[in-house]
Amino acid sequence: MSRVSIIETQINEIPFVEEIYEIKQEELNVTGKVRIAFPELSAPLDFKFEITPSYPLKNYDSESITFRNSDLVELKHVMGNGAICIHTSHNIDLRKKLTIDFLSLKKWIEKYYINKEDDTHYEHLIYKEKVVKDIYHSYIFTDVNYIFTKGEFGKVYLNELSNGTYKGKNIKNYIVQSFFTQGKFKINCNWSSWYIKSSPTNGGAFIYIDDAPALFGKFAFNNWEDLKQFIPHEFLKFLHEFEKNNLKKYKGTLFPIFIGYRTINSEIHWLVTPIEIGNFPIKGIAERLEGKKTGKWYSELENDKISWSISRNSSYKYFFGRGALTSKITDKKVLIIGVGAIGSMVAKTLVRGGCKYIHIADYDVKEPENVCRSEYLFNLGINDKIEELSRILSAISPFVELETIDNHYFNSVIKFFYDKKEIRKEFVKSIENYDIIIDCTTDNDLMYILDSLKLKTDIMNLSITNHAKALICAFNPNIYDFVINQFSNVLKNDVEDLYNPTGCWDPTFKASFNDIAVLVQMALKNINGLYENNLRKNNFVIKSIESNYKVEEF
Amino acid sequence: MIGRFSIRIKFGFILDMVLTKIKIMAVNKQEYLSNVLETHRISHIDNLVSKFKEKRDEVKTALQSKYGTDIYTPFDSGSFKKHTAINTKFDLDIVVPFKRNPFETLEKMFLDLYEFLDNEYSEEATVRKQKVSIGIEFDEDDEGDIVSLDIVPGRELNQDQYSDDNNLNLFVNENYGFLSKNSYIQTNIQSQIDHIKAKEDERKIIRLLKIWKHSNKESFKSFLLELITIKAFKKKDITGNLWEKLEAVMEYIRDNVTDENFKLKDPGNSNNDVMDTLENWERNDLSNRMTTIIERINDIDENIKTYFPVNSDFEEEEKSSSNEGYGLKSGIATSSIPPTTQRFG
Repeated sequence: MSRVSIIETQINEIPFVEEIYEIKQEELNVTGKVRIAFPELSAPLDFKFEITPSYPLKNYDSESITFRNSDLVELKHVMGNGAICIHTSHNIDLRKKLTIDFLSLKKWIEKYYINKEDDTHYEHLIYKEKVVKDIYHSYIFTDVNYIFTKGEFGKVYLNELSNGTYKGKNIKNYIVQSFFTQGKFKINCNWSSWYIKSSPTNGGAFIYIDDAPALFGKFAFNNWEDLKQFIPHEFLKFLHEFEKNNLKKYKGTLFPIFIGYRTINSEIHWLVTPIEIGNFPIKGIAERLEGKKTGKWYSELENDKISWSISRNSSYKYFFGRGALTSKITDKKVLIIGVGAIGSMVAKTLVRGGCKYIHIADYDVKEPENVCRSEYLFNLGINDKIEELSRILSAISPFVELETIDNHYFNSVIKFFYDKKEIRKEFVKSIENYDIIIDCTTDNDLMYILDSLKLKTDIMNLSITNHAKALICAFNPNIYDFVINQFSNVLKNDVEDLYNPTGCWDPTFKASFNDIAVLVQMALKNINGLYENNLRKNNFVIKSIESNYKVEEF
Repeated sequence: MIGRFSIRIKFGFILDMVLTKIKIMAVNKQEYLSNVLETHRISHIDNLVSKFKEKRDEVKTALQSKYGTDIYTPFDSGSFKKHTAINTKFDLDIVVPFKRNPFETLEKMFLDLYEFLDNEYSEEATVRKQKVSIGIEFDEDDEGDIVSLDIVPGRELNQDQYSDDNNLNLFVNENYGFLSKNSYIQTNIQSQIDHIKAKEDERKIIRLLKIWKHSNKESFKSFLLELITIKAFKKKDITGNLWEKLEAVMEYIRDNVTDENFKLKDPGNSNNDVMDTLENWERNDLSNRMTTIIERINDIDENIKTYFPVNSDFEEEEKSSSNEGYGLKSGIATSSIPPTTQRFG
């Protein structure tokens, strides 16, 4: 039996398929039409279907069967060509897969055609991302603490991120730093100061139109003329003036236009299209009064295609939407003292987990041999650890406020003066600015001092034994005695089989990134749970026993 | 480098021997706990105790001179009086029995005493209002010692009644479990002291639990641990060596404190249930702590040192860890290999 016959027979067996017709084997695909009818449907619906040779397997992430009905484009989850978006279950049996996919089509009809249901999540406008001058452009924006009003416009300041490759072509990436309204009001985007403080590299213009610039609320307009009713003449005048003033110097330069509209929960999305100075899609129109020219001119949008670029909302909510640590940690001011193997892993995990305020302290320098078991990078060379880690952490998250603490503060200054009553008070005051202190220094003296200062701040102390056989995590107020006892009396800390780096008499422990990271991640998971559930913070030890790990709470 | 290498081997060898010896020498929990108690004896700090007593007498004299016939003779209470004190953390308690009439309310009595002590000592001490007492913590002296006293004001129930029954009403200054702020509690401190007389076994366990409380920075009140220990001995057949007795008491705490019908009568007033000073989550917490301690010590004997450490300041030479029995200290001299307390990260 031919493939087309098998498909036809199987579709015919589906009870709500009233009719299958015009089915044929094209050069590659099987195409045909079906009429769907079931009691809840007031009148039958016709769909063209097309089945690719890979069916029942998927093509990339898409189904290899499509159903089309161009009369339904206004409905949800229908593309511009009338294709219905369905996501169905995996099955390698062609017959079963056909039944599953037709059932999915039926569900779509029930939900969106019959019941006209709304989705709880926001679907982006549909448009094709275009290259301009053979390059893709992306614009990444975030929230602002400002409410734009309809018709408000002005300048946008951008900063260039790394350039790269996107779908095989060059791409230039930018973040939006700030908006500057016509009222001369600067609105910074809610990035960390790391991203805000640098001078902008590029500029653009914005117009906030409030309503989505789209057909049926989902297909972004693709001609400038379609935007006529949304864009005020003042903005066109502003563009015209800008072009006139910059034509000589910047002719041919791309100038992105940001068109803002409201989505859900009063969020703003920006569609962006770069236009070329000297070729703005506006034309001058002579003003006429009763058929006679007044001598005045105004600008109007031209009948010209819009080339939408890539734009992404990367606000905190979406950036960390797929997973984050508890806000009982991420919203806190965290100080990490000691950013070696453990400290750098802790810092990076906290930053990837959404922490907003992290200060780091260390006096040490990162050498190439640190890279193999910490979060440092070879290509950044030899650096002070805190400086390099700041760069790395800022590169990860645009939402973390980072500061580095004076190199000598915890290593020497505090040790000189901690027992002087007045200075001690100052230490306590400055340290208690933090909500959480994570001591990863392995410095027993500092551990003792922090314990003795009786700080109200949460302190946790993390260290491991040689070969990463165990990780010890202690919380204040019971850190020093506990940790010393574990190392002195309880845990087996092999201090003989150490690694001696060539050229220095400073043996260090032996353990790989994997050995250490698995312990650190388990510890952080445990700590996150303690904070999330407001549990008592009992000290714990994670032991590596052959290939198993055991958390012992004390 | 060759010289250093040979030193390393030599010290490595010594360390091996010591480590081997330690592995062989499992902790004898009974002996270990006896040593813990020994190193926490108050007699080790006679000099400091003298300073405490000197200050205590000074305060008592000041109180008598200030309040004259408005009070009965202040008397000592607390762990010293009960012989449950430990030398790592202690304070001296003075009870000040006020007569019925000098103050209209208990709050006024409490505040008047606070103001007096604050005026008198604020230049040399920190004076603060506590739950039912006023704490005076004197600044560190030249030898680094800090003297702290707790002054507990109480008022007789009716004029002249104190001489007959020793009953006092205490002012409750802060929320205290189910006791609300600005309320009062009737008790008899003398009966509390008498309650623990001639109970040597119980005192040892109480001292050990106080060592745990202090070294592990636990917030449970000593008075609660004291009463619960005495009750455990009453309700349960607690025998065996020191560790077995301690374990039995901890099991008793673990198994009973979460029971909502479990009560701890205040020996000073049978109407007071000292369990009322704990919120429900604190009862669970106490029970969980006991579960964990027992589990951890039964996992590895050495963990007993985590919960019940010796006071190394008074450890006898032959028992100290630099020799045998109680672990390898960080002080062991090595020039080529780090000590076992070398942490990594």
